[in-house]
Amino acid sequence: MAVSHHIERFHELPIHEFTPADARPRPAAGAVAWRLSVEYGSQQDFGQVWQSFLTEVDPAGVRAVVIGPWWRNEYTSVGPVIEAITAEARRLPALEALFLGEVTYDECEISWLEMDDVTPLLHAFPGLRSLAVRGGTDLALEPVRHDRLTSLRFESGGLPATVVRAVAGSELPALERLELWLGVDEYGGDAAMDDLAPFLDGSRLPKLRHLGLANSELQDEIAAAVAHAPVVARLESLDLSMGMLSDEGATALLEGQPLTHLLSLDLHHHYLSDAMMERLSAALPGVEVDLGEAEGDEAEDEFDRYVSVAE
Amino acid sequence: MRLTVLGNPGHRRVTLFAAAARAAGLPEPAVLPWLDVLRGRYRLPEGGLLRIESPGEEPEVDALLRGPALGPGYAPTRVEGTAVWYAGVMAALRGLAARPGVRLLGDPEEIAVMFDKRRAHALLAGAGVPVPRALGGEVTGWEHLRERLAEAGLHRVFVKPAHGSSASGVMALEFGPRGQVQATTSVELAGGRLHNSLRVRRYREEREVAAIVDGLAPDGLHVEQWVPKASQSGRSADLRVVVVAGRATHAVVRTSAQPMTNLHLGGARGSLDQVREAAGRAWPALLETAERAAACFPGSPMVGVDVLPTTGWRRALVGEVNAFGDLLPNLTGLPGGPAEGLDTYGAQLAALTTLLPSSPAATDHQITEPAR
Repeated sequence: MAVSHHIERFHELPIHEFTPADARPRPAAGAVAWRLSVEYGSQQDFGQVWQSFLTEVDPAGVRAVVIGPWWRNEYTSVGPVIEAITAEARRLPALEALFLGEVTYDECEISWLEMDDVTPLLHAFPGLRSLAVRGGTDLALEPVRHDRLTSLRFESGGLPATVVRAVAGSELPALERLELWLGVDEYGGDAAMDDLAPFLDGSRLPKLRHLGLANSELQDEIAAAVAHAPVVARLESLDLSMGMLSDEGATALLEGQPLTHLLSLDLHHHYLSDAMMERLSAALPGVEVDLGEAEGDEAEDEFDRYVSVAE
Repeated sequence: MRLTVLGNPGHRRVTLFAAAARAAGLPEPAVLPWLDVLRGRYRLPEGGLLRIESPGEEPEVDALLRGPALGPGYAPTRVEGTAVWYAGVMAALRGLAARPGVRLLGDPEEIAVMFDKRRAHALLAGAGVPVPRALGGEVTGWEHLRERLAEAGLHRVFVKPAHGSSASGVMALEFGPRGQVQATTSVELAGGRLHNSLRVRRYREEREVAAIVDGLAPDGLHVEQWVPKASQSGRSADLRVVVVAGRATHAVVRTSAQPMTNLHLGGARGSLDQVREAAGRAWPALLETAERAAACFPGSPMVGVDVLPTTGWRRALVGEVNAFGDLLPNLTGLPGGPAEGLDTYGAQLAALTTLLPSSPAATDHQITEPAR
């Protein structure tokens, strides 16, 4: 599978595609999440689109920016994009939310995105509340301290363990939502259970209310660990979706600590039996359990199971 | 005005057109079966006009056209054999057109161009209609395709059988930054043979991609750039615009989570109102682009134009022009347009009676109006 849907809202704002020299009327700077992208085969590179944006839209009022495809023809690294954005950070004092790589298969496969170190974005925007990054190849992060960030999301078909460890090693006192699409080893998703332990033991991220450890080959092990994780008591919602979850992991969840305090439990894209789905629903009254995209429990072994997003 | 339809008796295209004729107060059109025309055994109805409908979706017609070429491996689901299918259909149409006294609605030579995606693309490009960049020239197989794409600097393309229809055999082909290759297609590779399926698959083994391309290449390939489409409700969207007598009369939005937006491959009808809103001032240009494409086929009373809006609804490219692109049941004409309230068939009949005001049908129709 692939990422096939564009987001329609970001940071609770509707997406508006920025077109340089657009004759059509423009919304107010702070009323939308501005999506910037380089058109396939365009004469303009990202730097030019970015400068047009800063000139044509009042940057001081911009609250949310979404970066789509940044290359013209050959896929290129996102590094220069990060440089271009951070170089102009002073002009974007109101920026609260940034999505780097809002790209679907129609533009580039998620694992073909050429990523880079995203740490400079967090340093350059101390007022940032929400950061989302799509793509795992060559993705890097250094441990940071960021006092305002409330939402952090890494979407990938293979999230490097170094990034997972850097998140775990960061000081994020305001973080309420953490979502990691861990992906598969084949595409660089080499995080092990030990790397996830810091998110589960409750010692870090004091404000955390939503945890997503999703899209993983290790979904059963993650479920088993979550079943006894101290952090769960603090959560309002838990996302273990998109991975290779089978009855084994779901049984562990049911036999672990109570989950009835959750508002929602996202398990969509799973390999659960019908009986297990019924057990889950019965055991979690009042919890909104997403059991969509049932892939069936017929798989002979794990080689017949897939995560939702890999390539 | 007496109408005859060259088509497959009982098929929706034929019955829906007949219903529109009745609704317009015209006599029931006669049907000239494609099967008879292909076998060369038919009698032309006396006088009147002959509407050409699609020969598609009729098992006997398909077996007659492709069966001999595919031999014992023939199955209706096979993807190969489009070149002989095309040759057979065009020979029959040209034979029909050469008969004395026949009055065809639609020029067979224009149908011949529309059913050759390479020629249609070249015609549109030559006329200045915006189209995706194409590879042009011949492609003999996978190795040749790889070489030519690398030379042209194209790494995301649609590979289409030149004479295909309904996304059969169409492959979205992409090369990654580190030598990866991926093909997305409804083609199912089974024992070296290609079958059309209702499920879109992804192939990542070069060996498999090569086998599919090598299987398709002998029928002729059209290769053009895969341009990311605008999105609606998060899904990729394109438009089918029906142009009747030069005017865009009907439009549907098709959205999909796949590179192909065809309904049988999981596409869905989107919202035209949302497109108008999202496109804003670019909306009239989308329709105008379709009309410009249609103008390249002046001998065709109706064409269905696939319009591909790019990201942000900034520009529109023409994907294909379909000679039989009007099967859009229950869709009424664009508000304020010349076919408001009419379906695609009704719109064509209205255009016909306007173009031929002296025809008996038009007169009959007028005198059946209630007198005031």
